[in-house]
Amino acid sequence: MVSENEITTYLRQELGEDLIKASKTRERRVSVRIKPTALRKAVNALQKQYPTLRFMTLSTVDHGLDFEFLHHFHVDGAVVTLRSVKPKEDNTLESIVDLIPAANFIEREVADLFGVKLVNHPQPQHLILTKDWPDDKRPLRRPLEGELPPQARPVAEALISTSCVAPISAFMQKKREEAGLPRTPPFAFTDEKTMEEFHGIMKDTNLAKKAGYDWKKKRLRYK
Amino acid sequence: MVKYVSFLGCQIPMRIPSIEIASRKVFEKIGLETVDLPGYSCCPEPVVSRLLDKTAWLVTSARNLALAEELGSDLMTLCNGCYETLVETNEVLKHDPEELRKTNEVLKRYGKQYTGKVKVKHAVEVLYEEIGVDRIKQQVVKPQKIRVALHYGCHLYREPEGEDIMRKPNMMKELTRLTGAEIVDYRLERLCCGYPSMQADEEFSLKQRLLLKLRHIKEAGADAVVLTCPACTIQFEIGQVMLKRYGVQYNIPCINMMELLALSFGVPSKDLHLELHKSPVLRLAQKMEAM
Repeated sequence: MVSENEITTYLRQELGEDLIKASKTRERRVSVRIKPTALRKAVNALQKQYPTLRFMTLSTVDHGLDFEFLHHFHVDGAVVTLRSVKPKEDNTLESIVDLIPAANFIEREVADLFGVKLVNHPQPQHLILTKDWPDDKRPLRRPLEGELPPQARPVAEALISTSCVAPISAFMQKKREEAGLPRTPPFAFTDEKTMEEFHGIMKDTNLAKKAGYDWKKKRLRYK
Repeated sequence: MVKYVSFLGCQIPMRIPSIEIASRKVFEKIGLETVDLPGYSCCPEPVVSRLLDKTAWLVTSARNLALAEELGSDLMTLCNGCYETLVETNEVLKHDPEELRKTNEVLKRYGKQYTGKVKVKHAVEVLYEEIGVDRIKQQVVKPQKIRVALHYGCHLYREPEGEDIMRKPNMMKELTRLTGAEIVDYRLERLCCGYPSMQADEEFSLKQRLLLKLRHIKEAGADAVVLTCPACTIQFEIGQVMLKRYGVQYNIPCINMMELLALSFGVPSKDLHLELHKSPVLRLAQKMEAM
């Protein structure tokens, strides 16, 4: 019987940087977090090494901002779960049906229930929903939202993007100047290098990630 | 001369700079030397960021403390929220070596380190303990003949050492009394203004918190509310406007203790830019000047 350590060591070697984390979660259970782009590579690697590999099922979790796809495989008496997380804005799931035909129905079920678009699926029709089911109303799909309630979102967004929870208006800058004060106090945002440091801290800790901050668009991923 | 790093926070310089103007004038008159903190960030605010990620809250706050430590002075806050965050962070980092190690691990990536040498004080404490009532009293040239209700703000009750939660509120009471103002007792001094609950339930915050306070303050015959916390000030001022939606009309001036002190020191109201308030503070000050 293949050991859990052998499985993780093998996958680490095959996937390299595409493997984010691999661990034995309990007896005969292995969890492997991979980059979403490496799903097919990981399935290929498992098929190559374990001829008796059996696809068990695919489960999906809607985390609000991201989808987590969990592909479960039976490997010689152990359950190996490939976990990949994709932002919901992407809204796609790469099909593995050409590698694992048994994934056909479950991928369509996930597409129906969560409204995810299947990529390269040979039969991307509805499986359990009716043909006229509206695209924007999926039974298990949550709204694109992070942990923050609506009123707290501007606070978090302002803090992460500007280092200050009350961004200063041009009117207030003028008023400050009239009163003989500097246009802005010596905040981090007044200096590019200091701001890089502040943003570095936001990235090194989990605040920006938990708030669902998009560093490219410089705002939260949801309103 | 006593020297402190003055932590201005976000709300005061960005939303109600009249408090910053008044504070600077008060410090100058009483001989309190302060320096601003270059490169500081939000403390960070003690509700959203702390609940979302405690480590980020600690590290961001510790960065501010490390900046003050580099300047070699203790830190004084004008804002109750900043006080709570910085005092709590300081206590955690001084008493939990593991948290200090983890925090410094992040700070060291940016060439910073906090060793726990900084003391954090609220401006109320600094004025009362370091400057003293007598020196402040000497500066009062224009006693303010008004009746005021005090709103201390929840974070002013926080005590890093000891259990006397009324220590700072009592200091605030005494400092306000020095301005000549008569303090009315409205029995709901300890009740929160509702600012934090605005994040969750606006109607509850306005009707079950702010409105109760306003009713009692009005009934007690106060001409104004005196506060030290900018967040509470925003809640009182904007809240009075928002309450109109619920068919309730209040227009009570909400003045910061530093502004009241500055007026009693003879600083003209026009120099304080009190028009930046969303409640009739300027009108109140002009009325007092005309007396």
